[in-house]
Amino acid sequence: MNSPHRFWRMLARKDVLAGLLFIGVAVFGLWLSRDYPIGTALRMGTGYVPRLLCWLLFGLGVVVLVQGLREAQDSRALSSADVSAWRPLVFVTASLVIFGLSIERLGLVISILLLIGVGAVAARGLRPFETLAAALVLILLSWGIFILGLGLTIPVWPEW
Amino acid sequence: MELLHNLAVGFGVALTPANLFFALAGALIGTLIGVLPGIGPIATIAMLLPLTFHLEPTSGLIMLAGIFYGAQYGGSTTAILVNLPGETSSVVTCIDGHQMARQGRAGAALAVAALASFFAGCVSTTLIATFAPPLAKVGQSFGAPEYFSLMLLGLIAAVVLAHGSVIKAIAMIVLGLLLGLVGTDGNTGGTRFTLGITELTDGIDIATLAIGIFGIGEIITNLTRPQETRALAAKKITRLWPTHDDFRRASPAVLRGTALGSILGVLPGGGATLSAFAAYALEKRWSRNPAQFGHGAVEGVAGPESANNAGAQTSFIPMLTLGIPGNAVMALMIGALTIHGIQPGPQIMSERPLMFWGMIASMWIGNLMLVVINLPLIGIWVQLLKVPYRFLYLAILLFCGIGVYTVSNSAAAVLLAAFFGVLGYVFTRLECEPAPMILGFVLGPLMEENLRRAMRISGGDPAIFVERPISLGLLIASLALCLLVALPAIRSKREEAFQE
Repeated sequence: MNSPHRFWRMLARKDVLAGLLFIGVAVFGLWLSRDYPIGTALRMGTGYVPRLLCWLLFGLGVVVLVQGLREAQDSRALSSADVSAWRPLVFVTASLVIFGLSIERLGLVISILLLIGVGAVAARGLRPFETLAAALVLILLSWGIFILGLGLTIPVWPEW
Repeated sequence: MELLHNLAVGFGVALTPANLFFALAGALIGTLIGVLPGIGPIATIAMLLPLTFHLEPTSGLIMLAGIFYGAQYGGSTTAILVNLPGETSSVVTCIDGHQMARQGRAGAALAVAALASFFAGCVSTTLIATFAPPLAKVGQSFGAPEYFSLMLLGLIAAVVLAHGSVIKAIAMIVLGLLLGLVGTDGNTGGTRFTLGITELTDGIDIATLAIGIFGIGEIITNLTRPQETRALAAKKITRLWPTHDDFRRASPAVLRGTALGSILGVLPGGGATLSAFAAYALEKRWSRNPAQFGHGAVEGVAGPESANNAGAQTSFIPMLTLGIPGNAVMALMIGALTIHGIQPGPQIMSERPLMFWGMIASMWIGNLMLVVINLPLIGIWVQLLKVPYRFLYLAILLFCGIGVYTVSNSAAAVLLAAFFGVLGYVFTRLECEPAPMILGFVLGPLMEENLRRAMRISGGDPAIFVERPISLGLLIASLALCLLVALPAIRSKREEAFQE
């Protein structure tokens, strides 16, 4: 067996990745809170509880990691389906980011069009005509609910 | 008699046209998202949280509560007709409910599910009305050490009752606790974990977190799965009324399911899903011919369906009386209260009796509405099942975006929700249950506050937690729970319970 391959296979186990995720967050938290005053148990500073929790998370992450490494086979490894998930992952996230960036400047109508346009790429089998119809229905629906019904102060059209 | 008086007050509030409308709206939305696979009550309540800001607090809570128990009704419809759980709490209903539908008894299965839910709803509403006042009294005598220990017990119980790895669930709770601390420390005024981002100085909004993890994360997860085929088991539902034999067999199962669900609902980490699983296991063990289960046993529908509704409703008890959420939905309810500036806790009942009793009364009204919505109008919901997910997710995605934007009026929150969406997807893939994280998120600041207060009372001596009898009792219970999980015999039982 070539060892780099085995190393990656081991790394792809769910518990190994989860453990690494927890450890990573804990280390990041400890680094961020390195200058927070800790104080004493009587007068707890800003950093007391956060640092305590970060160390706890670190410990738990190590346990999960070790459990993952000690698992006998690769039964709970990530499957190839997990890797091919980039399409919805990228486009759903992108559509929301674009929506967030555009809503205040371009208004509700255009940002909905952008969200639906980009978001529709995430799923396979959505025809252009269907996407357009869905966008129109959703624009009318959200305009009715949020602007007419609830009177929210979201700009509807771009502000020049 | 005080109970009757309180209930009369409550019905006075719940029967106003506005509140009737919001109870109906909640029941309808709940049924809708219950029927539709791919969106659950947590994401929906998170999305609608911003809307409740514009409503009376009582009306808002009535609607959100309606969504939660409405989803329990709606979830069974999809489970029975399509063999897909509309909600996680109706996973077990698929087993026997769908078999009944395939034998041409879809109508009977739907009716048993709705009537069982209704019965359980009535009983658990009465339980809330009876047991909430004394519990709130107990809660009022609690000091900071007791509260801290109680929250600890709640978090540990949530871990024990969650499925999957215990260690991972604890880690998720700690992660939630940490996320809850992001922002300005109320005691010292220092900022924590804000990464220099101005929008984070006020902390992360619970709606943003929940919409990201449960709304966006679920969309991504669902889209990565191959499209399921939704074949209806029954083209036309003809006979809606169960037979005499169905009634005879289902009635005791409903009683057992209601009792079990009511108890499990109160426990932290309990609620609808756990109750349904436990009830199915109980029915199977209780039955004289367990071989029938999986082949359309009516008890397998009646037990879990009554249990999930009972559990959904009694999980309001710790939230309303102690201000402590037992599951993620209750954590969001606490978020809804705080949006309106209402401090959750035992004082709610005495300070806002109209809201408290109005909400309880509305639960009963909502349950009555749900029977009507789900039985005679079943045809409409069946039609909705034909909407393909590729249209549905666009609508969910949009409402998530608008919901996040309106709750905080900041574009940064939308970006944050997108980030949590990716995180939610990663958690699902790594088999890390995100629900305990929401609990930790809500309880994080509260626990820190009570820990600090307790330490100030004792002069920095941690012994205060074991010197106070109630606090000691709660800590012993927490420890006992930890030991229970560690015991191999219990561990295998626990896995068995979730497998069935």
